[in-house]
Amino acid sequence: MAVTKEVLSLAVETGDALLRNGAEVYRVEDTVMHILEAYEIENYDVYVLSNGIFASANEDRDDACSMVRHIPLGKMHLGRIAALNQLSREICSHECTLPEAFRRLEECKSIPTNRQWLEVFFCGMGSACFGYLFGGAFADAAVSFLAGALLKLFLNRLSKRRTSKFITNIFGSALVTLVSLFLYTIGLPILYDKAIIGAIMPLVPGIALTTSIRDFFNGDYLSGAIHMIDAVLTAFCIAVGVGSVITVYRFSIGGAL
Amino acid sequence: MLVQFLVCMTATISFALLFAAPKSELLFCGLTGAIGWIVYLACMNLGTGTAIANLTATFALAVISRTIAAIRKNPVTLYLISGIFPLVPGAGIYYMSYYFIMNEMSECSQYGMETIKVAGAIVLGIVFGSSLPQAWFNALGKAGKKRT
Repeated sequence: MAVTKEVLSLAVETGDALLRNGAEVYRVEDTVMHILEAYEIENYDVYVLSNGIFASANEDRDDACSMVRHIPLGKMHLGRIAALNQLSREICSHECTLPEAFRRLEECKSIPTNRQWLEVFFCGMGSACFGYLFGGAFADAAVSFLAGALLKLFLNRLSKRRTSKFITNIFGSALVTLVSLFLYTIGLPILYDKAIIGAIMPLVPGIALTTSIRDFFNGDYLSGAIHMIDAVLTAFCIAVGVGSVITVYRFSIGGAL
Repeated sequence: MLVQFLVCMTATISFALLFAAPKSELLFCGLTGAIGWIVYLACMNLGTGTAIANLTATFALAVISRTIAAIRKNPVTLYLISGIFPLVPGAGIYYMSYYFIMNEMSECSQYGMETIKVAGAIVLGIVFGSSLPQAWFNALGKAGKKRT
């Protein structure tokens, strides 16, 4: 039988990786429990929040062990979640030895993100498509593309410096508005509102909202509330960013918007 | 309608790429998003209003995501998160702040209420979609496995 400490550390490490890449609380809790059970630990407790994991195993024995992890809300990485899910499936059907599982876990954690220029391009592409879907014409979509791509460049630059989320969202949406309004002012025939709406889509808190709902649905009210607050604050920051630029624009041009 | 479908699919795939979804699943992510959007448009054409349209669309989205997740043996999150983006009220947030700045309070509160209603509809849609028993989707997953 495997040592409690190693099994627990595998389980918690997997949960950590899942949570860090944006899985919902229920899935993390479930995965940790299943891994512990797969390695024949019967006596355990797991408590997961949206930014922390608390777990203990075999409390009544000599090799009792407990672990606490703090995990900041991070960037979504769906590929890693899918890979970790596959790994935990294999562990549960006893296809993996413990060292093997640790090695696979490291592999899952080091799945790379897409290359930067690719991300910039697709951020623009997504923005352009949304600009079109929400009623823009081709020209509006083109402006959305430009603004969205610039936004992603800006976000990448900021993420290296660990800027607060408020600042990122406010300045991000302000940048988008600025670009669209500038192109509108120099005479491009665009509906600047459609272009702006398309380009703020990468900032809009769709993930936070969805995760929050699913946490609530599974009865994890605390984690649901944390994500919900995140979603509402993000929406608020976007509104502030867009609003402040429009105000300044109106003043500088004399109210003729 | 076809153009809308394709554009929405491209949009969803682009966003799925931003969240580093596995390459093999991109097409399915795009499909869920596009179907959700088409359901939304169809409801709007029937004149149901935004709230009901969003509710129906997210419900469809949740069901499709769970079906594909069962067949492809992947977490539901993968499809649901990419697919939800076309329905999230980004335009509502924009118009709300715009009219707030322009000091047109009646417009502002109208769009504000609209945004809250849409968010609520999305919540209910996902909740209804999630509450269907998992056994149904597992059966679908097994049927899909036999076929391949």
